Amino acid sequence: MDRSAAGVSYQRFPRVRIRELKDDYAKFELRDTDASMANALRRVMIAEVPTVAIDLVEIESNSSVLNDEFIAHRLGLIPLTSSGAMGMRFSRDCDACDGDGSCEHCSVEFHLAARATDANKTLEVTSNDLRSTDPKVCPVDQAMAYQQAIGTADPYDTSTASDHRGILIVKLRRGQELRLRAIARKGIAKDHAKWSPAATVTFMYEPDIRINEELMETLTLEEKTSWVESSPTKVFDIDPNTQQVVVVDREAYTYDDEVIKKAEAMGKPGLIEISAKEDSFVFTVETTGAITAYELIINAITVLRQKLDAVRLQEEDGDFTGLDAHLGVA
Amino acid sequence: MNAPDRYERFVVPEGTKKVSFEKDTKIMNAASFTIEREDHTIGNILRMQLHRDPNVLFAGYKLPHPLQYKIIVRIHTASQSSPTQAYNQAINDLDSELENLKQAFEDEKNRFEERKQPY
Ligand SMILES: [Zn+2]
Repeated sequence: MDRSAAGVSYQRFPRVRIRELKDDYAKFELRDTDASMANALRRVMIAEVPTVAIDLVEIESNSSVLNDEFIAHRLGLIPLTSSGAMGMRFSRDCDACDGDGSCEHCSVEFHLAARATDANKTLEVTSNDLRSTDPKVCPVDQAMAYQQAIGTADPYDTSTASDHRGILIVKLRRGQELRLRAIARKGIAKDHAKWSPAATVTFMYEPDIRINEELMETLTLEEKTSWVESSPTKVFDIDPNTQQVVVVDREAYTYDDEVIKKAEAMGKPGLIEISAKEDSFVFTVETTGAITAYELIINAITVLRQKLDAVRLQEEDGDFTGLDAHLGVA
Repeated sequence: MNAPDRYERFVVPEGTKKVSFEKDTKIMNAASFTIEREDHTIGNILRMQLHRDPNVLFAGYKLPHPLQYKIIVRIHTASQSSPTQAYNQAINDLDSELENLKQAFEDEKNRFEERKQPY
């Protein structure tokens, strides 16, 4: 038996290439790892990277058409700037307080007071009416309007200050009033989806497309056109000069097999070969604005490492044969 | 009214061990690890990393029930190794892979920003 000695590392060294990076959007290539790692990162980004969201609401006065719980639920769903969430404590294990909101380690207090006085116009109460007691944690729209005002906004963001109208909470008619105190807490989306920093996180296998050029040249221009058009997405095209079939967008391929079936139907099996590169992935990450796409990726790696650390065997588990790893024996 | 608390899905109850393992009574070098409050995220990367180890003859995981918040990882190794050793090595390897990945991301972000401003 040719087995290597125990204690040898089988570690991989993944490579990354960023294609696009904006505040709330990232597209990147991940190579030299497998689908289990890509999927673990995706799952952690969606459900286990912490953010801050409103979790406790004390209604002082509510004469709006929506009931108290309805409003509390809507407040919970408002994305709050959460760059500091990784460093905060969960109220559940905060020993400095009992999670009632008076504690700076685990919570942020908000106030909202609105009253409609105009007879002819309904008053729209939005996330912009929320007043935070901590300038680092506020509704994302407020933060974006502020960044634009002081000129530190994302240079690729084409929105204007007037686009940040806030998120509608409730509409009030004359005489109606809403007053409340809200406590935002750190949490993860495994608990409630309102804590998810991710709008979408997806990855795809990079396709490897090989055209049998020799066989392709036996096709007439009409046949080539008909074959190119059999793909539901625009993966191929015909070079107007050389009349050759070329791949214009590899990643538009949806693994639908249509071009393969078409080639077979035309009596040209083997005209095209498409396989998924099992160690290369193209990721698309979009956030709610609570944290930036880059922060989401980095925090996901940190969280996944913390999870791995938590599942290590403890020495008192007995029969601890991994002792040589501690002694540095390779 | 009697719904369990939501946090029961990811908080290990007091008095319960995060990881426990039990040796197989019939097969040498085989054991089952029960990991509390973990799911496919950890289960699948562990399994795939264990498959990279040629001393591992079998590695698999299961989530016995969607409402039982635990996974069971079963490992069978050759005599040169042991399930606990393979388990520890897999975690160490995954951890350094992620440490590396983080560095790779930070470096690539710097390169990306340089590419963005070519003057
Ligand atoms: Zn606290």
